[in-house]
Amino acid sequence: MSAGLVLILVVVGAYVAAHLASEWLARRFLIVSGAEYLLLGILLGPQVSGMITATTVGDFAPFMTLAFGWIGALVGAQFRLPELMRIPRVMYRVAWLEAVFSLAGVAGIMAATLAWWFGLESGEVVRPAIVLGAIAVASAPAGIALTSRSMGQSGPMIRQLSVATAIDAVVAITTFGLLLAITHTEPPSAVRPPTATEWVVVSIAVGLLGGILFHLFLGPERKVDRLFIALAGALILTSGAAAYMRLSPLLPAMLVGAVLVNTSHSSVEIRQVLAKVERPLYFVLLIFAGAAWQPSSRGWLVPVAVLLLARMVGKLGAARLAARWTGVLPALGPTWGMGLLGHGGLAIAIALNYHLHESSALSNVVFTAAIVSVFLSDVFSARVVRSLVRAYGVRVRGAARRLAQSRTGQGAA
Amino acid sequence: MRRLVILLLLFAAMRLILPLGAEGQGSEALLSFGFLILAAYTVGEVAATVRLPKIVGYLIGGLLFGPHVLGAISASGTERLTPVSQLAVALIAFLAGAELRWGEVRDRGVALLKMMSTELAVTFIALVGLLYGLHGLIPPLAGAPSVEALAFALLFASIAVVHSPAVTMALLTETRAHGPVARTTLGVVLLADVAVVLLFSATLAIVRSFAPPEGGSAIVGVGMVLWEIGGALIVGALLGGAVALYLRYVGRELILFAVLLAFFGLEIARLAHVEVLLTLLTAGFVAENTSSRGDELRHAMERSAAPIFVVFFALSGAKIDIAGVAPLLPLVLPIAMVRGSAIWLGTRLGAAWARVAGPERKLAWMGLVSQAGVAIGLSAILADAYPGRGAYLQGMLLALIAVNETVGPVLFRRALSKGGELAPETGAAEPAAAPAAAIVAEESS
Repeated sequence: MSAGLVLILVVVGAYVAAHLASEWLARRFLIVSGAEYLLLGILLGPQVSGMITATTVGDFAPFMTLAFGWIGALVGAQFRLPELMRIPRVMYRVAWLEAVFSLAGVAGIMAATLAWWFGLESGEVVRPAIVLGAIAVASAPAGIALTSRSMGQSGPMIRQLSVATAIDAVVAITTFGLLLAITHTEPPSAVRPPTATEWVVVSIAVGLLGGILFHLFLGPERKVDRLFIALAGALILTSGAAAYMRLSPLLPAMLVGAVLVNTSHSSVEIRQVLAKVERPLYFVLLIFAGAAWQPSSRGWLVPVAVLLLARMVGKLGAARLAARWTGVLPALGPTWGMGLLGHGGLAIAIALNYHLHESSALSNVVFTAAIVSVFLSDVFSARVVRSLVRAYGVRVRGAARRLAQSRTGQGAA
Repeated sequence: MRRLVILLLLFAAMRLILPLGAEGQGSEALLSFGFLILAAYTVGEVAATVRLPKIVGYLIGGLLFGPHVLGAISASGTERLTPVSQLAVALIAFLAGAELRWGEVRDRGVALLKMMSTELAVTFIALVGLLYGLHGLIPPLAGAPSVEALAFALLFASIAVVHSPAVTMALLTETRAHGPVARTTLGVVLLADVAVVLLFSATLAIVRSFAPPEGGSAIVGVGMVLWEIGGALIVGALLGGAVALYLRYVGRELILFAVLLAFFGLEIARLAHVEVLLTLLTAGFVAENTSSRGDELRHAMERSAAPIFVVFFALSGAKIDIAGVAPLLPLVLPIAMVRGSAIWLGTRLGAAWARVAGPERKLAWMGLVSQAGVAIGLSAILADAYPGRGAYLQGMLLALIAVNETVGPVLFRRALSKGGELAPETGAAEPAAAPAAAIVAEESS
């Protein structure tokens, strides 16, 4: 039997089993779905059963690139200006501060750890440390959504956590995208190699071009089918162009997503189409991410453990600091950052993108850290959010009401 | 104007991007894929404004931006997208099968069989006669003994009679036509798809006896051909049954399932050495007629297939080597005209025999002119068996296919228009966007 056939059979069979199992686990134990596909990928991959060979993983690289782009676009599509305006500014301030603090904190700790553990020069650890920082910043919204569904509420705590995860995603993607652009080392076939600034401009320009093309292409049309063609075309082109130039597809695709929802009359439909296709792509990404994983030949246990610890401390500390700085600590509570500990698709996408990138230093360590973190967070993230909402949901609601009243008062004055 | 801006932007972007990167991990394929979706679809829309089928636009788009004209897509880029073409073949075959209803097959099967067999017979005889008559003008056959000239005329004709199920399906989904002309054409084309495999295999077996193959790999036994057809029905039915079970007991993630199903069908047909198109066609037919949720899968398949189909046609266009085709046109154009006339005559005779009285009697022939991937695949077998003469005939066949691939959809659309089967919007001068399913497809080599 051919490898391709075995692969399809195994993926379909395992998918169905994993899907049914995860649904039961989610209902019964409030466990977020995702890690089971990663595990499946590891079991099918060259490290365990060898059903998915390294060559097959390479053959599926375009799908993974597309999945990166799709995930990026979904992140960007959350930022529709008229909707953003309805959310209190303080929520953004808290979220931005939390993201920046945790990025700086985790990247710094990881730079020191990697330099010490592997005996590397500081210049050699900057890139992997920043990538680990970006991975650490990313928070998965799945646990929040699951809690929101299971508790049947979407109060201010849920909203604050949702805003924070969205901003976390932007910071993570932007950091990673800019890092790959600035540290671009692949020699292009052009006469003069572009400078770091030019690569950054190219990275952003690709995203804007994708958005403009989509906008022009779609015109006044609102049919969902045509929308799908336009969306698929723009995202495939953007992701392909970024990957072809050895840039991250996440950043340009995020820009495409933001341009789309802010310039098109079909923002709701765009999000629906993006969300619908993201799911299967996400499964494929997770399975192949698991298959692409290789245990690091260097001691990875300590850096991974440090990352997990640094992320937890960083997130909690940064969230607390941000809340204190903006004066909402009493409302949110000192441990509201626990709700941001969930890790998911974006973290895997960044890690895998880095892993697939040629000449990436310590890519196995980075990738392993992301995988371990996702495994752990899937188990507890929804439970943590639920306990937070129970403990602080009411308090936040009161604070938000007071804030709204004071704003109304200012407006009237 | 908007469309021109899109095309200019796309072309300029490709010109800027290509020197800044290099192929790695399939990124060039992805870039080419995205480019072709937008560029070919835009050209397709331009084609629609002048009442041409969109697929002609996709072909022209591929030709224009392909390696032989503007070079926005490299030859290696088109080569790397071969799996997309194969996936499109599988999807279109499944969708074509899902279009058929058991009741229709039962009621009209005999009439369609009569039309198909007459049309094929007349066209085959006409083309054999023409090729034999022209063999003095065909360089590798010019000095050949009569028997050998006849042998190659038979082989050429057995490929030249082939139709294109995918173009037919593509036009039907684009126009949403469901009238008698549409249904009759689809029925004849699908039946002919089975018949031509038998015809070609039988012809090759006969020709081998008086013109032994120069290559050795194209030896086709009768048992093998029978298995290719019969096995496809068995494998397809099993696959269709499995799909029906999935729809009944799981029924989720249909987009992912549709793509996996197409890959799986391709793979299993290849492994079992059965005819790919027929396998998936049967699977589609069985799934649709045994499951109450077949429509959902079909819709999911249309959704996921839409960009794949655009690219598939664009790739077909990109592969047309104008420099190679042009010198053969003086020879090929008369052949195309005779083929068209024979199809007209054969269809009329077949319709009279089957006592078909509706508009399809006069118009169905126009849907049978298109040719594409099946013919390309068979011509490759011919070139493989006879590397010298066969390769030259393959060049002629590719030129003939290029002509029919362009003219065929135009004729079919005209037939649907004359039969009053076009949906109002697709018949309008400035057609609104077609549904995703309208994005056409075609079988490939």
